[in-house]
Amino acid sequence: MNRTIVTLVGKDMVGIIAKVCTYFAENNINILDIAQTTVQDFINMMMIVDTSKTDKSFSQMTEELDKIGDKICCTIKAQHEEIFNMMHRV
Amino acid sequence: MGMIDPYEVLETNNMIERENLDVRTVTMGISLMDCCDPDLDALNMKIYDKIVSTARNLIPVAEEISLEYGIPIVNKRVSITPIGIVGASACRSPEDFVTIAHTLEKAAQKIGINFIGGYSALVAKGMTRSDRMLIDSIPEALGSTERVCASVGVATTKIGINMDAVRLMGDIIKKTAQRTADRDSIGCTKLVVFCNPPDDNPFMAGAFHGVTETDAVINVGVSGPGVVKTAVSRVRDGDFETLCETIKKTSFKVTRVGQLVAKEASRRLGVPFGIVDLSLAPTPAVGDSIAEILQEMGLEMVGAPGTTAALAILNDQVKKGGIMASSYVGGLSGAFIPVSEDSSMAEAVTAGALTLEKLEAMTCVCSVGLDMIAVPGNTAPETLAGIIADEMAIGMINQKTTAVRIIPVIGKDIGDRAEFGGLLGASPIMPVNRFSCGGFVNRGGRIPAPIHSFKN
Repeated sequence: MNRTIVTLVGKDMVGIIAKVCTYFAENNINILDIAQTTVQDFINMMMIVDTSKTDKSFSQMTEELDKIGDKICCTIKAQHEEIFNMMHRV
Repeated sequence: MGMIDPYEVLETNNMIERENLDVRTVTMGISLMDCCDPDLDALNMKIYDKIVSTARNLIPVAEEISLEYGIPIVNKRVSITPIGIVGASACRSPEDFVTIAHTLEKAAQKIGINFIGGYSALVAKGMTRSDRMLIDSIPEALGSTERVCASVGVATTKIGINMDAVRLMGDIIKKTAQRTADRDSIGCTKLVVFCNPPDDNPFMAGAFHGVTETDAVINVGVSGPGVVKTAVSRVRDGDFETLCETIKKTSFKVTRVGQLVAKEASRRLGVPFGIVDLSLAPTPAVGDSIAEILQEMGLEMVGAPGTTAALAILNDQVKKGGIMASSYVGGLSGAFIPVSEDSSMAEAVTAGALTLEKLEAMTCVCSVGLDMIAVPGNTAPETLAGIIADEMAIGMINQKTTAVRIIPVIGKDIGDRAEFGGLLGASPIMPVNRFSCGGFVNRGGRIPAPIHSFKN
């Protein structure tokens, strides 16, 4: 298991989550958990995904997520889970 | 371990995106002891090869880590064994030492780093011929390079203060200023005079790879003044207990990121992890300032009465939070109070709130010392030596590191401004006490070690 946290922030519209999920499905990245809040028109989504089975390198994945983000007018950020564990768990 | 909470993710990413949380430096320490050679050309070639082969992956690896964790790593740097020792076997003149400075510049350029530290001599008790030649070569070495950083250790608590070296450094700083007079005497921004210098400091300009260290090591400097400032602003009405707890918890989180990056860099580079340095290091960017933290604590301007106490709290709580967050803490580990590198500090000088004397008092309770202070270009070398002597005495008596990085800006005076550019920042020229200390600093010899150093 190689857990990566993906965060998406932007203006809500139809098909945002579908676009991101399709990308993960096509690249053999398993979604472990999704949390989402929408305040007014803005969507704030966090996914925990397993990147251990994908052929893509981490930098390829972040570049391609950036491109998807541009298309749907959102910022998508992928980070190894470890930075959050280190900061918030003793 | 429980699932990560969306609010925790948000908190971390807000720190990074809005509060300037980053890792300030990943510094690779490299021993050059095995480069010693009686032939100067051979020595230079070995030094170049050792640095380039050991640190060639430093930047790609740091960039990889930065991408994967989403945390900026601002500086990638290298520190080396003090050149006063490494060059002793081959150098017969200060000019010979300058060739090593040029080799270091080339190596730094090759691996893509902006600073390399360790053009240094440790002379707290006495200077070898080699040390003396290295010190004499500093003005030309710093004048003809951009990336090389020099430091001279002139005092320790166990040894005392080498006043001959202190007096000499007054001249060397002045000559370095003159040699780089066309660029606001920028050479002096890369020259540090130390008491109790640590062997594992990752921060420039004072970094060197001490002789107590192994072949190569990864040391990391965390940052986070912006994060601490934001946290402090949330407890504006809290009492001191609340204030201290807030700083401590924030410092823990900031340091954990440093620990993570240090361990990862060490693993990926195949170089042992040395230490995490807890120092809060400001940059000229707005919101990345130590002065702003102190002001957030309730001071109208840094330099006002209460400043020393506020800084003492900040420094102590940062350590208390940071110590538990890292398996090995070292380096300088305190709050830095450079003037030109911290725009709000420079502003306080312009407003008349912050003086050289108040800064000296502040150095009693934090690391590192009188840092990045621009003074009139006509300041006498004896006066520079006197300022150094005072700062060395504070370090020696208080068993802590202190340093002086002072810039007599040639051709400029009170009311003028020095511009160093980039992370080095800008500063108004600060007034210096105009009474002479020549009769004191010209005595020659050493100041003995203080009574409390005799613990055996």
